[in-house]
Amino acid sequence: MDTATQKKWDDASRTFDVFAAADDRRLSAYKQRLLKQIRGNTLLVAAGTGNDFKFLPPDVRLTAIDISPKMIERAARKAVAYPGRIDLAVKDVCELDYPDSTFDTVVTVFTFCSVPRPVIGLRELHRVLKPDGQLLMLEHVRSAIGPIGVMMDLITPLSRRFGPELNRDTVGNVQKAGFRLRRVENVYLDVVKIIEAVK
Amino acid sequence: MVFALGDYLAGILVGAVTAVVVHWAVAPGTDMVIAMLVGAAIGLIIHALLGLLLSLAFGLMETMIPASLIGMYGGMLFGMRDSMAAGSRTLAAAAIVGAIFGAVVVLGVKLYDRALRGTVYETSM
Repeated sequence: MDTATQKKWDDASRTFDVFAAADDRRLSAYKQRLLKQIRGNTLLVAAGTGNDFKFLPPDVRLTAIDISPKMIERAARKAVAYPGRIDLAVKDVCELDYPDSTFDTVVTVFTFCSVPRPVIGLRELHRVLKPDGQLLMLEHVRSAIGPIGVMMDLITPLSRRFGPELNRDTVGNVQKAGFRLRRVENVYLDVVKIIEAVK
Repeated sequence: MVFALGDYLAGILVGAVTAVVVHWAVAPGTDMVIAMLVGAAIGLIIHALLGLLLSLAFGLMETMIPASLIGMYGGMLFGMRDSMAAGSRTLAAAAIVGAIFGAVVVLGVKLYDRALRGTVYETSM
């Protein structure tokens, strides 16, 4: 378990909902559209405080994990309101203990900006997905637009101390981990993206 | 609609505050390169502080990305202008120009966003 990352997100759990509230409202339609595609046994990675549970379709068989016990504590309160069963667990995405080919769908929402070893984490997700299983992601990535990309590079050394890295190449990392891209959609500029891939 | 107005409000605020602080910090006759670097640094700090605060209401990316462009690149421009004393002689004038610059950058980012938005890759699987 990556204890440094765990402590960072334990600390962030206190203010997480305050910082996520506007994005939740702003991106709710995209989240609902993405999560509507969930099928079968599903793993939600980096559930945070459970803000995305309200966007899930009803009666999904869901396992929600997060590296932070404090986040999971808060998520447990929100899971109660979900009309279905959510199993919560503290786990590091880079060291999953699920058997190979366990899940039909894996979902991540603003997760791989914060995983310190993103390709290793994505390889774990590839391993636990069933053949032809789908990976559904809403992520922010480094912009290819010159001035914006430079700004993201400049700010990342500061932002990673308290939260996410802003200059990740998550689309490339998904491919490096062995996934086949199915669909990529720009949600805001070329920064916030929906990424759909299959094993 | 609220978010769209908020984006412009955030851009105007970051632009105006950056312009005022740079106007205060850069004296006429300052070496232009130094003035540009000072302006960029001031803009970087102001965008981080104000942008983070405003993002609580209007969303992180939609606030921080235009704010970073306004702060850093606007700060450079304001610094160069103030080193030459080329216009905006008062703080109020500097604030108005900063506000206009902020609004124009937000508009530009919104137009660019509209052009980029949508599916960029799709295959049948």
